[in-house]
Amino acid sequence: MRVKRRDYTQWMSLPALLLFCTFFVYPLIRGIGMSLTDWDGMGKATFIGFANFTRFFQDARALGDIRTTLIFAAGSALLLNLFGLLYALLMEKPFHGRSLARVIIYLPAIISPLIMGYIWYFLLQPGRGFLYHAMAQIGATFPLGNWMGNYPTTMAVLIFVNVWQFAGMTMIIYLAGLQNISSDMREAALIDGAGAWQRFTRVTLPLLAPAIRINVVTNIIGSLSVFDVIMSLTEGGPGYATESLSIYIMRMCYGSRTGYSTAVAMILFVMILIPVVISMRLTRARD
Amino acid sequence: MKKGLAFMLALVLCLTSAAALADTKVSFFTGKIETIDLLNEIIDGFNAANPGIVVEQEYQNDASSIIKVKFASGEIPDVMTTYEQEFVDQGKYLDLGGMNEWWERLIPSMRESCTDLKTGLQYRVCTNVTMAGFFYNKEIYAQLGLTPAVTWDEFVANLTAIKETMPDVTPWFIFGKEAWHLGHLIEFIPHGYLKQSLGTLACKAAMLENDSAKLNFGAADGAMAVFAQNLLDLQANGLINDDVLTATSDNCVEAFVTGKAAMFSNGMWALSGLLEANPAMADQIGFAPYPAYMPDSQPVVLSAEDSGYAISATSANVDAAKAFLSYLFSAENQKKYSEALGSPSAFMDVQAAWAPEAFVAEVAAALSSAENIGFTNEKPAGFSGDDAGRMVQDLLAGTYDAQSFAIAYEKAWNEGF
Repeated sequence: MRVKRRDYTQWMSLPALLLFCTFFVYPLIRGIGMSLTDWDGMGKATFIGFANFTRFFQDARALGDIRTTLIFAAGSALLLNLFGLLYALLMEKPFHGRSLARVIIYLPAIISPLIMGYIWYFLLQPGRGFLYHAMAQIGATFPLGNWMGNYPTTMAVLIFVNVWQFAGMTMIIYLAGLQNISSDMREAALIDGAGAWQRFTRVTLPLLAPAIRINVVTNIIGSLSVFDVIMSLTEGGPGYATESLSIYIMRMCYGSRTGYSTAVAMILFVMILIPVVISMRLTRARD
Repeated sequence: MKKGLAFMLALVLCLTSAAALADTKVSFFTGKIETIDLLNEIIDGFNAANPGIVVEQEYQNDASSIIKVKFASGEIPDVMTTYEQEFVDQGKYLDLGGMNEWWERLIPSMRESCTDLKTGLQYRVCTNVTMAGFFYNKEIYAQLGLTPAVTWDEFVANLTAIKETMPDVTPWFIFGKEAWHLGHLIEFIPHGYLKQSLGTLACKAAMLENDSAKLNFGAADGAMAVFAQNLLDLQANGLINDDVLTATSDNCVEAFVTGKAAMFSNGMWALSGLLEANPAMADQIGFAPYPAYMPDSQPVVLSAEDSGYAISATSANVDAAKAFLSYLFSAENQKKYSEALGSPSAFMDVQAAWAPEAFVAEVAAALSSAENIGFTNEKPAGFSGDDAGRMVQDLLAGTYDAQSFAIAYEKAWNEGF
C-alpha cells in the first residue's frame, strides 16, 4: 500500500511569520494610523491627515536633526567599513598574538553603547577628562579643546566613538568574507603577475561583495537610528545641535506629541529604507 | 491518571485564586531615588502590620516619562509621586480633599501649594518643603569680607571680588551639561521675578491662560532678555566656569567641596551629596536667595512643596492606598523620611534633624529675607523645564543674543500650548 506523504515544511516558517507580523507588520500598520492623528499619548486621538508630516518639514529643529543624523550615518558607515576592512586584512594574515588582537578589537562591541559613551565622556571631557589631565602632565595641550562648543568637532567625536566601538563587529563579517575567498583565485592572480593592489581591487574586493552589502546595510541602519552614544556623550546638546532623529522622536513622544513622533518615526523608516535599497541593488548588480 | 491531573489543576487554581483574593496589591510608583531604601523599610512595616495588603514599590529614574507610558498602556499605579498639570487636566488623579486627617497636620501654605488652581481641589499631598537658592562657601565669603548679595550689582561685585582675589576659584559654578539645571535657573530667576512681581496666584493664572501681556517673555527689557544678557555678561567676564556646557553636577559637587567653586545654584536635594563628599564642610555651607535683578524686583528664594503623593483616579484599591499613605504620613515615619530626604517636613507635628543646625539657620535667614516663590507647575505640556534648559545651553554656546533668546523663548512657550 502506498502511503501519501504530506509536505509540511512550508508550515515551519509559520512561527517566524507570526513573530514578524506581531512585532513588525502590526506595529507598522498601527504606527501609520497613529501618525495621521494628534494623539498626545493619553487622550482621544483626532485624525489630522498629513499635518504631522508637513509640520515636520517646517520645523527648523527637526531639519537640523536630519542633518546631524545624516552626517553621523555617512561618517560612521564610511569609516566603519574602511576600518573594519583594514582590520580584517591585517587580522587575516597569521602572526603571533593574532587571536588576542582580534578579541581586543572586537571587545568594545559587547559593551552597551550608552556605557561606552559615558566612558569616553570621562576620557574626553574638556578641562576635566582623563586625557586632558594626562596631556597636561606631559606639558601638551588637549587637542580637542572645548569640543562641545564646536559642532564639527562634536560630530567628529561622536563618529569616532561609534567607529571605535563597532569596527570590530564589521571586521568579523569581513574576516568571514575573506575566508570564503578561495586561495586559488588569489594565487592565480599572483601567477598572472597581478600586484598586491590589483589583487585586492580585482579579486578580493569583488568577491567580498556579500560581506560589503551586509556591513553597509547594517551600518547604515544602525547609524541612522543612533540614540545611545549621543545621549551619553552630549545628550543632543548643546541645545539641540547634536540631537539625532531617534532622540527627537523620543522627546516628542514623552512631550505629549505621540502622533507627531510616530509620523517622524515613519519618516526615519523611509530615510533608512532608501539607502538600504540602493546599496542592496548596487551590490547585487556587482554580484 | 486523568482524574489525578484534573484534581491537581483544580487544587492549584483554588490555591492561587485564594491567594489572589487574600492580598490586595497596591502598586506604588516613584522617581525619588533618595528615599528608596527608607520606603522599602516603611513598606515592610506597613505590609507586616496590615495582613491582606501588599504594597510594592517601583522606582524609575525617568519617572515623569515612564508614567506617561503607564497611563497610555493602562498599567496605572495606585499610588505615585509623579504629578503634572496635564494629568490633572485629564482627570488622572483622585481628589484627596476629604482626607482631613492629613491636611489638618500640614502647614496651611503647603495645602495651598497642593491645590489645583483650575479646580480648587487637592490631588496630591506633599510631605516636605524644599528650598532652592545659592549654596555658597562661607569660608571664602568670610576671607573676602563678602555678604550674600541683595541686588544683581552686588552679586556681580561679589563674583568679581572672588575672581580677582582667588583666580583658581570659580565664582559661580554652573553645570550646564544637565539641561534641567539650566531650566531651573529660568524657573527661579526670570520666572521667580514674574511670580514675585505679579503675585503667586496671578502669575499661575497668567501662565495657565498664556496671558502674553503679563508674561511678556519676548520684550527687549523683559525678565527673559535681562536674565539672558546678565548670564552672557558673566560668561564674557569669566565669572562662571569655562566648561559650563560640559560640566556635570558631580563636577560641581567636587569643585564646591574642595573649595574650587565659591557658589552654585541648587535645591535642598543637593545637600546630602555635599555632606557625603565632605562631611567636614557641614558648617561651611551657606545658603542665600537669588538677588534682585530687575529694577523693581526683590530677592527671591524657592520655598515649595516637595515629595508629593497622589492616588490614581482609576485605582481599584483606593482604601488600601489611603491606608498606606496614612501609615507613611505618620509623624514617626515622616521624621525618618525628612531626614533621609534632607528637607524639612511639611507636617507640623514632625520635628526632624534634616540638616546640620548651622545650615538650617542659613536657610531660615534666607527664607525670611527674600520673597518666597513656588515651582512653575503651570508650564505648557509641550515645553518642559529641560527644553528651556536646552535653550540656555544654546544661549551659552553663542546661538542667541539676549534679545533673540527672549523672542525664541516666547515662541517656544507659545508653541508648547
